[in-house]
Amino acid sequence: MSQPKEILISKSSIPRIAIIALAAIFALGLFAVGFDEGHLFSIAFGDKAFDQMYLHELSHDLRHAAGFPCH
Amino acid sequence: MKSFLFIGIILLAGLMAGVTLGLVNLLLVEPLIDSATNIENQNLINSGKSSDSPSFWANYYSYRAWQKGGEILAGAILGISYGSLFGIVFVVSKNTLPGNNIIKKSLVLGLVFWLVLYAVPFTKYPANPPSVGQSSTIEFRQDVYLIFVVISGFTALGFFWLYKKIQKKIILFAGYGGIMIITYMVMPENPDPIQMEFGLLAEFRAMSVIGMSVFWGALSVFLGILWEKTAMDKIFKS
Repeated sequence: MSQPKEILISKSSIPRIAIIALAAIFALGLFAVGFDEGHLFSIAFGDKAFDQMYLHELSHDLRHAAGFPCH
Repeated sequence: MKSFLFIGIILLAGLMAGVTLGLVNLLLVEPLIDSATNIENQNLINSGKSSDSPSFWANYYSYRAWQKGGEILAGAILGISYGSLFGIVFVVSKNTLPGNNIIKKSLVLGLVFWLVLYAVPFTKYPANPPSVGQSSTIEFRQDVYLIFVVISGFTALGFFWLYKKIQKKIILFAGYGGIMIITYMVMPENPDPIQMEFGLLAEFRAMSVIGMSVFWGALSVFLGILWEKTAMDKIFKS
């Protein structure tokens, strides 16, 4: 005779810290690729970052192709 | 450990989809951007704002190399970014999504993201090649584009929440459609005139649609496969 077995499956809920981390990555990544005009580098390099716009130029072609406004 | 695995597969799926987008763009979009920037250069030279000199062309080829080289890296960053949002929404909504396996569910969500974050905003503010869009209006265009995308995203989220409560699909589609039609009519037009031949513009926009469709499809498939391979469903309840 077979014995009845009780199987306990324990599932944890979605970790809040993971959601917060992913949300931060989303916001920072989207700003860097889609909208930055020198803002992020200006934290380290000051106002000249707004003239050089390294991130803007790096993501320039992708911005156009992905539908983000550019010039 | 579970959190690291969860974040890891989402970032990896985003990275792979983003690199795919970069490669597709290098193949399909770059020749069109080259054509558009050539028009831009000719306009600058003809208007006297720049001279047809070796230093002008040296500077041009220098920054074009940087821009082209950025396709893959920027694609990877965008992929990781969009992938992160996609992962959050997927983990909380997968039990509600239609489909009898995780890849089909992921593809359905990918279609929703493509529609809400790309296709619907595209109807009002379509992708444009270089030479369309002036530096003086960039902040305004960024603002209205972001507002449109945020309205689209939160409207979809809001009506999805309502749909979960009352289980009527018509509310979801009619509600989202209605709000977005009003948004379309209310939001201001792109202020910049289009002064380029329609053929190049239409071809560029078509390649943009292909590229972003490949991206959302790839992200959905990569995340679905990684989710299955790591048995993520057995770890998290939603």
